[in-house]
Amino acid sequence: MLQKTFFKQQDRVQLSIAFIGALLGLTFLITSIHYLIKVNEFGRGNEILGPNTLIIQKKIVASNAFNLSKTDFNQREIETLRANECIAAVEPIISNNFDVSLQTNSPVVPYFRTDVFLQTVNPTFIDIPAQKWTWKKGDAYVPLIMPRDFLVMLNTFMSAKNIPTVSDEIAQSIPFEFTLKNGDDKVKMNVRIIGFTNEISSLLVPESFMKWANQQFGKSDEQKINQLMLAGKENQFGLVETLLKEKHLESKNAQVLVGRLKSMVGTFIWIILCVSILAVFLSGLVLIQYLQLLINKNNYEIKTLIRLGYHPKKLVNTFVSYFFKVFGGIAVMSIVLFNSVKFVLDAAFNKGGVYIDSSFTYLSYLAIVIAYVIFTLASLISAKKHIYNAEKG
Amino acid sequence: MTITFTNVLPTPLAATNHSEASIWENNVVFDAQKKGLLNASSGKGKSTFTGIVCGIRSDFSGTVYFDQQAITTLNTDDWTTIRREKIAVVFQDLQLFPDLTVQENLLIKNKLTDFKTETEIKQLVQTLGIEQKWTTPSGLLSMGQQQRVAIIRALCQPFSWLVMDEPFSHLDEENKRLCLDCIVAASNEQQAGFILTSLDDDKRFQYDYELKL
Repeated sequence: MLQKTFFKQQDRVQLSIAFIGALLGLTFLITSIHYLIKVNEFGRGNEILGPNTLIIQKKIVASNAFNLSKTDFNQREIETLRANECIAAVEPIISNNFDVSLQTNSPVVPYFRTDVFLQTVNPTFIDIPAQKWTWKKGDAYVPLIMPRDFLVMLNTFMSAKNIPTVSDEIAQSIPFEFTLKNGDDKVKMNVRIIGFTNEISSLLVPESFMKWANQQFGKSDEQKINQLMLAGKENQFGLVETLLKEKHLESKNAQVLVGRLKSMVGTFIWIILCVSILAVFLSGLVLIQYLQLLINKNNYEIKTLIRLGYHPKKLVNTFVSYFFKVFGGIAVMSIVLFNSVKFVLDAAFNKGGVYIDSSFTYLSYLAIVIAYVIFTLASLISAKKHIYNAEKG
Repeated sequence: MTITFTNVLPTPLAATNHSEASIWENNVVFDAQKKGLLNASSGKGKSTFTGIVCGIRSDFSGTVYFDQQAITTLNTDDWTTIRREKIAVVFQDLQLFPDLTVQENLLIKNKLTDFKTETEIKQLVQTLGIEQKWTTPSGLLSMGQQQRVAIIRALCQPFSWLVMDEPFSHLDEENKRLCLDCIVAASNEQQAGFILTSLDDDKRFQYDYELKL
């Protein structure tokens, strides 16, 4: 009966407009949060390098050939790069300062030996579990990350010898061996491939191994830093790119391209997200205003019911529960709408060859819960204030 | 429950001269279970009196007590209980819901305490001659019919006091008598008192006391 008293005569046009506004705003909000997360996650897990990570080096120009300009980095240059706002981290890539060769070490695999070039990067840049990417003296083998091009070369060699080629998984089970030497000093060590990379063209070993080997077998001349590992901040890849140009630095084109695309799409989604938040805020404001209007319109009914013995709390609950249902309806419908939009967008991405992970993101659902809580709290506070004021009046 | 007025003077009536017999600026005790008539001409504060007793108005000096408790110390919870169980009111402007039917206007009050059954309420409606209006929105009723609905509504709750602000102003003699009979019967049944404000000396009933404003 209270519902009939308060809500029968209401003008539903404003409510419908606010409802549609909030529904669209909330749908855009969760859709943009979802795809912002997906864009940032794009490519993660496919490569061993973390997201937004580049290997940079100085541009090679003609003067380098005559030793007129340096290709290595000094500490001051590294610190200058680190100080930039758009840079999350910069660390030198350490190379081997000793002679090392890699060879197969199994009677079932044909003998293959080659001199190699080893590098190591700070483990924070590598997307591999820490327990797999570690080495200490006495360990059974040295873990190794191999450039995929190296495996292609290995397969070409095997093919030439009429031996079946090997996949990533089989390659990881083949025993290899390093031969480290400095003059007459020589030692052999077992090696196991734990992963592959398209981004780095040298063999990667753990930092601890590189330190030990450089100490044991390193040559006396000073080691130079020719490459750096650089991580840009999320959605600031445009700034990173500009910085690289200014400093005459270069990176692999593919790495920059993916970073640039992610940055552009991320920024675009951020804009949609901000507009969505604004839309949700404004439509929420209209809904709350509608609630206040409804309370003011029912001022006589509210006062009378209180005079008859209805507790203001009961009247507040009647209004708030009505708006709980309105907000609940908006939240549920926005989830349905979001899932429909997601289905269409994911299908469109797939059709275009962009394979975005189609799983759900908890944050987008959390956004609905947060919006729902804020809406209901605001309506509760507003209803309380106006109804208790009516009681006093 | 005894209602005591100690030097009460409503702010809007502060500039008016009140007689020695007036309840304003005097000490007046409304004893429980007594039936009184508050007789005054227009503008002397009959509706203000009703508003003060049922906690709608607080613009007065002096103190009003329910038993020993000053009503200024009562909070929202206390007033809700008093309005549900202690003081029933017939307002001068009736305070009905024009869009709700007679049935709904009565049940919305009765629902608070489930004091009467729907059959008992219908019987009262029949007694006061508006049974054919049971499903009619109260906004479509005549003032006299609305007054009868408001009186029945006030009886749909337990009470120690029934305060009525000119409840018969639009009723003919026969309906006034019928209403008064119902009011007296309900008050006696609940061992309650009532205060009826009126523009004139009401000779239809032997009141325990008559007060002036």
